[in-house]
Amino acid sequence: RSCILVSIGGKNIMLDCGMHMGYNDDRRFPDFSYITQNGRLTDFLDCVIISHFHLDHCGALPFMSEMVGYDGPIYMTHPTKAICPILLEDFRKITVDKKGETNFFTSQMIKDCMKKVVPLNLHQTVQVDDELEIKAYYAGHVLGAAMVHIKVGSESVVYTGDYNMTPDRHLGAAWIDKCRPDILISESTYATTIRDSKRCRERDFLKKVHESIERGGKVLIPVFALGRAQELCILLETFWERMNLKAPIYFSTGLTEKANHYYKLFITWTNQKIRKTFVQRNMFEFKHIKAFDRSYADNPGPMVVFATPGMLHAGQSLQIFKKWAGNEKNMVIMPGYCVQGTIGHKILNGQRKLEMEGRSTLDVKLQVEYMSFSAHADAKGIMQLIRMAEPRNMLLVHGEAVKMEFLKGKIEQEFSIDCYMPANGETVTVTTNPSVPVDISLNLLKREMALGGPLPDPKKPRTMHGTLIMKENSLKLVSSEQALKELGLNEHQLRFTCRVQLQDPHSDTDTLHRIYTHLKSVLKGYTIQHLPDGTVMVESIVIKVSSSTEDPNTKVLLLSWSYQDEDLGSFLSTLLKKGLPSGLC
Amino acid sequence: MEETEFDDILDDWFIESLKTYKDLHVYQLEHPTQVIEWTSGKTVCVAGFTSSKNEILELRLPLKLFADENKGLCAERDFKVVHGGFTDAPVRCLRHIPGTRCVVTNDGLSSDLQVWDLGGDDSDVIRRTGSVDGSRGVSEGGSRIAARLSSQPQVLHGAESAGVRLTQLTSGQTVYTLETDSADPLSSLHFVSDAVFLAGCSNGKVYIADTRTSAAPQLSPPPPSSGESVLWWTDASAGPSCLDPSSCRIVRLSSCGQTVISDLRNPGGAVSRAQLDVQTRRCNADDVRVSWAPALDDCIAVSGFSGAVQIYSSSVWTTELQEAQPLFEHRGHAVSSQSDDGVPVFVTSHVWHPERPRTLLSAASDGSVHVWDWVDQSAAGC
Repeated sequence: RSCILVSIGGKNIMLDCGMHMGYNDDRRFPDFSYITQNGRLTDFLDCVIISHFHLDHCGALPFMSEMVGYDGPIYMTHPTKAICPILLEDFRKITVDKKGETNFFTSQMIKDCMKKVVPLNLHQTVQVDDELEIKAYYAGHVLGAAMVHIKVGSESVVYTGDYNMTPDRHLGAAWIDKCRPDILISESTYATTIRDSKRCRERDFLKKVHESIERGGKVLIPVFALGRAQELCILLETFWERMNLKAPIYFSTGLTEKANHYYKLFITWTNQKIRKTFVQRNMFEFKHIKAFDRSYADNPGPMVVFATPGMLHAGQSLQIFKKWAGNEKNMVIMPGYCVQGTIGHKILNGQRKLEMEGRSTLDVKLQVEYMSFSAHADAKGIMQLIRMAEPRNMLLVHGEAVKMEFLKGKIEQEFSIDCYMPANGETVTVTTNPSVPVDISLNLLKREMALGGPLPDPKKPRTMHGTLIMKENSLKLVSSEQALKELGLNEHQLRFTCRVQLQDPHSDTDTLHRIYTHLKSVLKGYTIQHLPDGTVMVESIVIKVSSSTEDPNTKVLLLSWSYQDEDLGSFLSTLLKKGLPSGLC
Repeated sequence: MEETEFDDILDDWFIESLKTYKDLHVYQLEHPTQVIEWTSGKTVCVAGFTSSKNEILELRLPLKLFADENKGLCAERDFKVVHGGFTDAPVRCLRHIPGTRCVVTNDGLSSDLQVWDLGGDDSDVIRRTGSVDGSRGVSEGGSRIAARLSSQPQVLHGAESAGVRLTQLTSGQTVYTLETDSADPLSSLHFVSDAVFLAGCSNGKVYIADTRTSAAPQLSPPPPSSGESVLWWTDASAGPSCLDPSSCRIVRLSSCGQTVISDLRNPGGAVSRAQLDVQTRRCNADDVRVSWAPALDDCIAVSGFSGAVQIYSSSVWTTELQEAQPLFEHRGHAVSSQSDDGVPVFVTSHVWHPERPRTLLSAASDGSVHVWDWVDQSAAGC
């Protein structure tokens, strides 16, 4: 089950809230005690984001929001918002009504949960609050699936949910811009696989259907209205046309109504081809595929039927299944995952005798085929996504660390970024290098620029002196004087004085003159002045000469400098302590 | 539906494949491989051959392929990368040492070998553990490598006939060296029993040697019509598991498509021959592969001349040189190739599954890897 907690810039976000389909007890829910030991989660979470409608990503949402307690916003795309409640309700019915479980959410809870949902559009930045913003990107995979970009200040995270990098017949491929997030969080379940081509999966499907039809059998394909039904229909239609096959193909009307309704709503979420087809005509207008009537199930001879629901847990697909199960010439093709407790799940686990209502048993003699058409990114896909987004760090979840060392090494080598692989329950801390924007006062900028000489060198970094003032949420860099003024402080001047003794037989005036000459030759480029008041000035440093009272050849130099010229002052005092060179005139 | 969309979804080969293959899996590696080597009944090693950084991958074949009884209930069609490693040089030859988790590679630039540990359950990283020196003074062409199960892991390697050596992996000691009058560049090395091996040379000669003796090897001269620039490749049927090495057969294939089959008991003669239709393109010595089917009688697979793998049944061949038609042709790589630069795709490697009679793996220059189980449409035959 997917449920990731991210703390970024002081904000807490929950990414997905999935159910673990393998457990029957509380282990199927995420462990919310990581957030708080008891009590509601509202105060601890700034928002919840759901990537798509698969139950391992949203199955625990009503439990979290209504039974544990969360009243904040839940973000998801429009299609996800429309489809989630249907799947959750189906799931609830199976778990509670069929399996008789208690500790589970109710229909009302699903409704109340969905009231908290704020729908997202693709590529639209949404301000969750004045610091946290999120944006959804197209993920492919299933209708409405999104990858999410989360930003707080200058730090950001991208969570991929499930995605795929190759377009299929009804969905495009995932896409994201070079947003350079600090962390890219991705599933690693398929990271170490190399996917068999879509063509081969379809070939297998056609082969099985064809073989059954050829021997006079009937093929049942239970589908979810928004799954692969449309794709498989297109495939069969083309095949039938090509091979000039005569056996009838049907789809149940409930399927087409729902599918058409949703595709119409979410046409922008499908790929180009579907959009073109849809504009031209109704999605399910085929030459060889017709609407089903339940009386047809008893017709003799071969036929193919697409019927809902997808897991054979109720409704038309189950009715047809019951009629056809006893004949070994027939076939049922399950195109996806089935939840525990459903007939679909049982037959996919090899069960050949099923207990039906009223204690009757059903012998399953028909052929059962499990075909997976779900689109996931593999090792190559992950590398492609990293190339697109250019994250600074990579985080792979839901894999076993020992089985992912190679991928980690590959990512680290190719992109020179760190790759983390935390286990469930583990916390990973990633240090980022956030940039801190600071306003600089114009005066300070002008002054600093003037110091560097006529032309500034853009490549050369320079040290500058200023005072950083942090007031409320703004940062300002100003000159010291301005800072003192703003802060209402008095400026104090610090001056250092030092005495240097020098042996020099000349008069005071001459000695001073000699010092002046000496310094002029050593300190080229500095402003040195011999002032009429009997002092030599180097920048702000003042040098005076007087004779010692005991010995007229011993001169005492008085050096005085301000704090700002401390370096130069120290240099001068050391220099003059060495004495004057003899060659001076 | 528009015509182009029609073709897009279903092309002739795809439709045909429903009847001509039992199983078909198509994969795309990030980089093409020139090697496919079994490391167990369900895993193979592949590796890149670019001039700089390359990956060595150990891939587990899809579970669906092996789920014979409950095949329908298994949806797993993907390769699983069970182990992976990095190397700074191309991998032109890769051999698994039976009974170990060790593979040995050669980069085609020198005759030295690199030794790797594939790793176990505790890590998925393939690590370099050492090297084996090749013969000194060898010019171009890399080493060929062969190995068989033995109590002490050993590797047979060499780039030329003179200087093929059998080296102990742990100690690095050479326990046997082949001495031949001339140093002929090799195209392959094969063990036919624990001690007897064949050194197939590119000029068509085949040396048959026994590592237990220092006696001179037997020489089978190149087939008569061999010319100056003709290259030859060899394979021996029935490997070390063969109880009677003399019942092994040798197949020799030339770059013009001439194929000669001889018996190990009479290596100079020919049991049968055939002329195969190989579209002669610029023939790269590295790409051509000829192999006996391990679990089918008289079946040979040939690849490297084009984008197809051809399967021939030699049971109908005679001693007279006649044109032979393939029993089956796998054109999957050529048909589904996605190379845009106009360079036609060609098959770089193929291997038979050691037990499943008609299952092969093939790789091509566009990075594709196919796993296929073909249907024998002929009445008689393999």
